[in-house]
Amino acid sequence: MMGLAWLKQGKRFVDASRKVLGMNQRNLEYVYPNNARSDFPIADNKLLTKQILSKAGVSVPETYISYSSFFEMRHLEQDLAAYDSFVIKPAQGSGGGGILVMSSKYKGGWKTLGGTPYTLEDIRKHIADIIFGVYSFGLSDIAIIEAKIEQHEALNQLSPFGLTDVRMIVCQHQPVLSMLRVPTQDSDGKANLHQGALGVGIDIQSGEATYATHFGEAITKHPDTGVSLQGFALPFWQDIVEMSIKTAMSVPLKYLGVDLVVSKDKPMVLEINVRPGIEIQNANMIGMRKILKAQATGAK
Amino acid sequence: MKIKKNTLVYLLVFVAFLAIPLALVTYKLTVLNYKMSDLIPAVSYNIDINMTVDGHGDDIEIRTFLPKSDTRQKITEETHISGGFEFDVRSDHLNRLAIWRAAAVQGKQSIRYSFVVQAQSVRFEIPDDLRVAKSYPESLNVYLQSEPGVPVHDPLIHEAIDKVLPSRDLPVLEILTRIHRYLQDELKNKNFSGYTDALTAYKLGEASCNGKGRLFVAMARTLNIPARSVSGLIMKAGDKRVSHQWVEIYINGYWVPFDTINDHFAKLPANFLTLYYGDKVLFHHSSNVNFKYMFSMSKKLVAKASLRENLDDSILNIANVYQAFEDIGISQNLLKIILMIPIGALVTVIFRNVIGLETFGTFLPALIASAARDTGLLWGSVGFVLVIVLTALIRRAMDGLQLLHSPKMAILLTVVVMIIFAATVISTNFGLTQLAHVSLFPIAILAITAERFAIFEQEHGLLKASKVTVATLVVVAAAYTVMESQFLQSMFLAFPELLFVLIALNLWLGRWIGMRVTEFFRFRKVIWQEAKA
Repeated sequence: MMGLAWLKQGKRFVDASRKVLGMNQRNLEYVYPNNARSDFPIADNKLLTKQILSKAGVSVPETYISYSSFFEMRHLEQDLAAYDSFVIKPAQGSGGGGILVMSSKYKGGWKTLGGTPYTLEDIRKHIADIIFGVYSFGLSDIAIIEAKIEQHEALNQLSPFGLTDVRMIVCQHQPVLSMLRVPTQDSDGKANLHQGALGVGIDIQSGEATYATHFGEAITKHPDTGVSLQGFALPFWQDIVEMSIKTAMSVPLKYLGVDLVVSKDKPMVLEINVRPGIEIQNANMIGMRKILKAQATGAK
Repeated sequence: MKIKKNTLVYLLVFVAFLAIPLALVTYKLTVLNYKMSDLIPAVSYNIDINMTVDGHGDDIEIRTFLPKSDTRQKITEETHISGGFEFDVRSDHLNRLAIWRAAAVQGKQSIRYSFVVQAQSVRFEIPDDLRVAKSYPESLNVYLQSEPGVPVHDPLIHEAIDKVLPSRDLPVLEILTRIHRYLQDELKNKNFSGYTDALTAYKLGEASCNGKGRLFVAMARTLNIPARSVSGLIMKAGDKRVSHQWVEIYINGYWVPFDTINDHFAKLPANFLTLYYGDKVLFHHSSNVNFKYMFSMSKKLVAKASLRENLDDSILNIANVYQAFEDIGISQNLLKIILMIPIGALVTVIFRNVIGLETFGTFLPALIASAARDTGLLWGSVGFVLVIVLTALIRRAMDGLQLLHSPKMAILLTVVVMIIFAATVISTNFGLTQLAHVSLFPIAILAITAERFAIFEQEHGLLKASKVTVATLVVVAAAYTVMESQFLQSMFLAFPELLFVLIALNLWLGRWIGMRVTEFFRFRKVIWQEAKA
């Protein structure tokens, strides 16, 4: 009898696993059929993404300047002189690698939010690394210098260690799943779940937190600050949903992850991703395949 | 249901890639008369006898025994590099004696004698009721007499026989079984390379191969059974100086082998090479010449000689294909390595897409596994981890120097070469010849891996990079095991068209949308949640 019970449990488990989206199925049934390979650069090159989106009227952080060769860096000092804060990022980086956030100026250069000083030469070297493709698996890349976004007060208390971003998965112009990625001390200010950022599931209808994980374990409070994650509601939620759909409609990609930040007065799109991760299912405690299937039948 | 056009093409290609090799294999087995036993390549060993002497102006003479071809072993491709020595071979009905002579030798001189051995195992059945013969042909008298170290009819040998046998009136099988068991089980094995005579072996109750052999011969001859000692090599890839001795007993017209160190009763495995018969010394050399020797052996697969003879001239005749490759300098052994790489890639694909392990690159594990063939899996992995760890440490150290990316990677490549160089020199000095073969570990593969690791560690941190390294090693071990399978190697060498089957399998895996094994674990909570809902 025990064996039979186990067998039944196993069958239930395997049946239920069909509601969850695995990597193979994501690639074969969603990423490849919905996104032409030739359109991948629109998402993989952040400079290109920003140009397309701002033309379509989607808010993006202001690009101060970009460097694609050593030669262009000869006026680096003058180029940066006017800015107290800025972000350096590789146009084709992945997983947040190579992103450097300068939040204040001091007499020798700039400092990060954590207070680490960077001289002009440090910055020059970092830009050179980006140009040489260190962070992008390519032979060369472009370094983007853009405005540092001040996040909305409502998010400051929840996320004092760095910029929180919102990931929205959009399939066939319909929002599928959403989560908030909250940097922690573990994640070194980065909103990367694998490095220890919190994943907070957000209900698409209400914009309220439903569930939260840290390294895949369920949590109810921020592990560093103890601030409760339960019942948290994102500001500008309707704008976020609309902006995600607008972003999806202004690019030829039909299955994508839209990454947004909420600034003082409006949401902005940071980047888009043609191969959005499947960890979002753990943050929401929901199988994504189930939702995608329901949306596909609803559309027909 | 409407089938999409590209799905139809997919199905056609899939079926074709299964049908083509099936048809070709059937054609070869039926029309071309392939015999499976001929197709399975034979294991053969390349053996070098390396000898060196230091000359001080005197004449030097070196003698050693060379193996002979017989029904059990085939010796081919014999070559020698004798330098200033005059080389001569003297054969009698049993042995081949090689002699190198040179006059007024000055300085260090080296001689190499190389040959290829293809040997088979043998096993004899001794009839239960066979009795010891009363008389033998005259030519066998020599195998019944005393010789130095083998005192036939010595009282102590009689004492040993009385101890082992309850009576002398027993069938041959029982006599030999009891003597064999006594020598194998009662007489302790001693790892001693010097000379032990039969009486010393009996008195001490322990002996190495030559002591046990002499005692066996002495006891057999005392019982009026002809016996002789045999010397040779146990063939195994690597370097060694140790030769081995076993015995042959004349039973019912056959010389039947016995080894009481490795417990071979009336049988001999395929990796035993017979060098010479009789109680003789392997090397003779002039004195004061600092004579040194080493047997260097490597294993390889070769087509059976019978294969080429039994097949006709068809273009599909695989023997002709092997010949085409050999004509351009690619041996069957290298061909085998090349043919196994796609299998390694398939193993990697299964680990990545079905099991869900993340590795460095898709083909890297297969390439590392094929590179590790020279060193064996253990030392290949040790070499791999050593290079990864050292380059990662050096990359860390270079962070402080603020270098640009490309020169930094060039430094890492240089360091990989230096590590390989140092590993070879150091390990050779310490006699770790397996690690020394790390030098053969293709440098490009290591350098690529080191660079991947370096970038990966920079992007994802040391912990994640270490996890992927361990996963890569697991996949390398799996790929290595599959690629070393003699069965698969033989099948792919005989039927290279099976590569189409690999493409078909990859086509299938390429459309497989199931959850990866690791994803069941990763999303187990979500799945249980969904199961409850």
